[in-house]
Amino acid sequence: MNKGGVGAGSGPTAAAATAAAQKQKNLLQRVDTDITNMVENFNTLVNCARVSDQPFRNSQEAFRMEMCAARVVQSADSLLKLVSELKQTAIFSGFASLNEHVEQRTVEFKQQSEKTDRLLEKIGEQAAASLKELENHYYSSVHRTMTTDN
Amino acid sequence: MLITLEYRLQRSLSWPKVGRKRTFCTGSSTLAKEMEESLKISVDKLPIKRLEVIEENGIERYPPDIGEEDKRLAQIRRIDFTPLVGKDTKKSKTSNDAAATTPWPWQSMLENLQLAHQELSVIIDLINTVEVNDAVTVAGMSRPKQSAGEMLSDLAVSAATKLQCFRHLGRYFKQSAKALEKQVAREARFYGALIRLQQNWKVKRQRMIAATSSEGFTIDLFDSSLSDPMVVFRPLSISTVRVDRDAAGMLAIDLPPKSCRSIQFGFSSDSSSYKLKKHCNSSEENSLQDVKKESAKDEDVDRCVKETHSVLREVHRAIFDEQVFDLVNREALFPSQGVSVTGIREDCLQLGIGQEASVFLSLTAFEKDKSHMIDTKDYAPNGEFGVFSIDEVDDGLLPAERQDKFSGFPSPISCEIYLRQIFHENVFVRLKERRTTSGRTQTASHSGGPGCGLLGHFCMTLAHRIFSHKVLEELEILVHGVPYLHLLSHPTWNSRSSSWTLSMKVPQSIIHAGRRPKSVNFAHEVRSQFYTKVVVTDECITVSGEGAPNVVGLFKSGGSAEVCSMNSYTCNLENLSLILLQQVASQVIRWLHEEALIIGMKASMDFLGLTFELDQCDTLSLVAHVDPDDARGCISWWLVMEDGSTEESKFSSDFPHGPSENRRFLGSLSLEALYSMLMELVSVCNCGSH
Repeated sequence: MNKGGVGAGSGPTAAAATAAAQKQKNLLQRVDTDITNMVENFNTLVNCARVSDQPFRNSQEAFRMEMCAARVVQSADSLLKLVSELKQTAIFSGFASLNEHVEQRTVEFKQQSEKTDRLLEKIGEQAAASLKELENHYYSSVHRTMTTDN
Repeated sequence: MLITLEYRLQRSLSWPKVGRKRTFCTGSSTLAKEMEESLKISVDKLPIKRLEVIEENGIERYPPDIGEEDKRLAQIRRIDFTPLVGKDTKKSKTSNDAAATTPWPWQSMLENLQLAHQELSVIIDLINTVEVNDAVTVAGMSRPKQSAGEMLSDLAVSAATKLQCFRHLGRYFKQSAKALEKQVAREARFYGALIRLQQNWKVKRQRMIAATSSEGFTIDLFDSSLSDPMVVFRPLSISTVRVDRDAAGMLAIDLPPKSCRSIQFGFSSDSSSYKLKKHCNSSEENSLQDVKKESAKDEDVDRCVKETHSVLREVHRAIFDEQVFDLVNREALFPSQGVSVTGIREDCLQLGIGQEASVFLSLTAFEKDKSHMIDTKDYAPNGEFGVFSIDEVDDGLLPAERQDKFSGFPSPISCEIYLRQIFHENVFVRLKERRTTSGRTQTASHSGGPGCGLLGHFCMTLAHRIFSHKVLEELEILVHGVPYLHLLSHPTWNSRSSSWTLSMKVPQSIIHAGRRPKSVNFAHEVRSQFYTKVVVTDECITVSGEGAPNVVGLFKSGGSAEVCSMNSYTCNLENLSLILLQQVASQVIRWLHEEALIIGMKASMDFLGLTFELDQCDTLSLVAHVDPDDARGCISWWLVMEDGSTEESKFSSDFPHGPSENRRFLGSLSLEALYSMLMELVSVCNCGSH
């Protein structure tokens, strides 16, 4: 990646920076090329609007116009691809935000886990208390007394 | 010559000029008036006698005199019908007949044709010359000059063609713009969804795939932090999930069918095991639905992302289950306490729990068809072990009810959850917390106890659950047989120990009824409750309680036994009821003894008997008889009268077999009845002493 870039003494960070700069330059170049293409072809299109005296020139221009239009669309498509490439880069290279988010999620999950533990504990205690209460009720209930009498 | 002359003359007459024609017309005969204007008639001005022929010898010859009739006929003949003939050939058939008589019109045509022929031959000659001789070339050819109208029309055609071209281009641009807009929307949707997925899952871009197909995104569900050298988790094939984009730009996840498997746990001997069917989203049908509608809304995107999340969660759980199953299998290979493998298969493991129970642990694929519903029917694998059965009993019971019905086994689902939990807690969490864990056995020993892996712990837990259920059943039967016993459960929060208390509330003493226990000593003397604690640890029962008879102490002291305030001993399930009944009876005796002492009776306490001294020699004994299987009451009482002369063994073998004159069977009595009997005995004793 760092061929012909920074000098041999530079570290990996510098190499990455150079690569990134190169990539950025490439992208900008592509944008420029595409936009220039579009503008040029559009100019040609506008120029072709002139009705010529000779019929064969008109036919020629018709073909030329179609070609220009196709080129304009192709440039637009290329720009779009560039945008999606940028999006991908943004998605897959934003490690800082990703890590931040992961940490945030970890904290959230930990909190949730603790909350669940507390909840389970509480449920257990409540169940124990309820069981005790129910047992007390049962042993002092009429049902139990009747069973005893029987 | 004559003929030519005549012809010329006639011609000059027959093709007069317009002005002359009028003059002719004015002077014409009535016949001429009848004809059309186009019909031209030449009439001789002077009807004189003309010279017909001059012969060579000079003789002039005049035509013969003609009569009036002939003259008129000749005049008619002179009528020129040629215009009429040229105009309408059909009409002029009759006139042709007339013209046939005069050959001149044809002659003129012939001459004209001859002239034309001459000109043509000149042209042909020219052409031939040009053809033969290459040297002759066309020097120039001038285009005929167009008129202004023609030029304008040409221009208009060109302009219209151009306009058409531009319109066509406009349509092309519109279509392209629409397509691009769609693409932009799709990309926005897809990348938005991908970003949302990325917040929870590890999304990777695969450059190799990206070269061939449009999208190359995968979601890596394998936890690389678990790559411990001791616990090697192999990455599963399902841990990498491909993410695709469908036509609407929605996320599409393609999972091979039946790739997600989950642990299913059940008791082989328990036909009531049931299984909650897992819900696994089929992404294919979702994506198919999405393909249908190109224009997806935000809600659809939300729904799609949520579904994708849930599918990924299922896959994640499936991976966890596979890992747990893997760990279980590994542990099963090592001999461990409490684990006995009775059957093993690729995706199924059968373990023996104790002597009677055996459990199976299998990996089964999610049921896709029966999603969204909970099916309580069992789909246990009917494998080659021969013990698995597909139970299709549908008795309308809830799982809990059914669990009660087939009592003895804990709920398979809770066991499943517990298995997952202990492995998660002790392997996964610990691995993450401490990467430097020295090994699995050490890790496992945290919860399982010494020499016992996680699987051993799990199996012993199961064994304990089954055993403690049996103990509880015994205790419940016991409590049912002894009315004044209360059973209290004590949750221990330990999976391998259970605890209950049998409590007996004694009636309040009459003497101390009015007094409130103020001092500690007094409270200690007059107790209101007796407790017996039953603790089951693994498969070992420990009974402890106050007032328990110390059997060893009985024979040691010979007389009234010293009773330990608290006693603890182990027993097995078979004699649990008996021991507990003896304990309770001894507590009753102890209570009666205390009460008797309080009211000043001379009483001594024995293992299961209370002896009152009536006279110097006579004694009256209240003896408890315990029988766990007695339906009328597990503890029954005998009253034994002994005089000083008869030395009878307190525990003779024929004691319970029938009443005699000295013995009276009282049956099972309530505590209140016993207390009132004691009060009655007080009066008897007083009478006896006096």
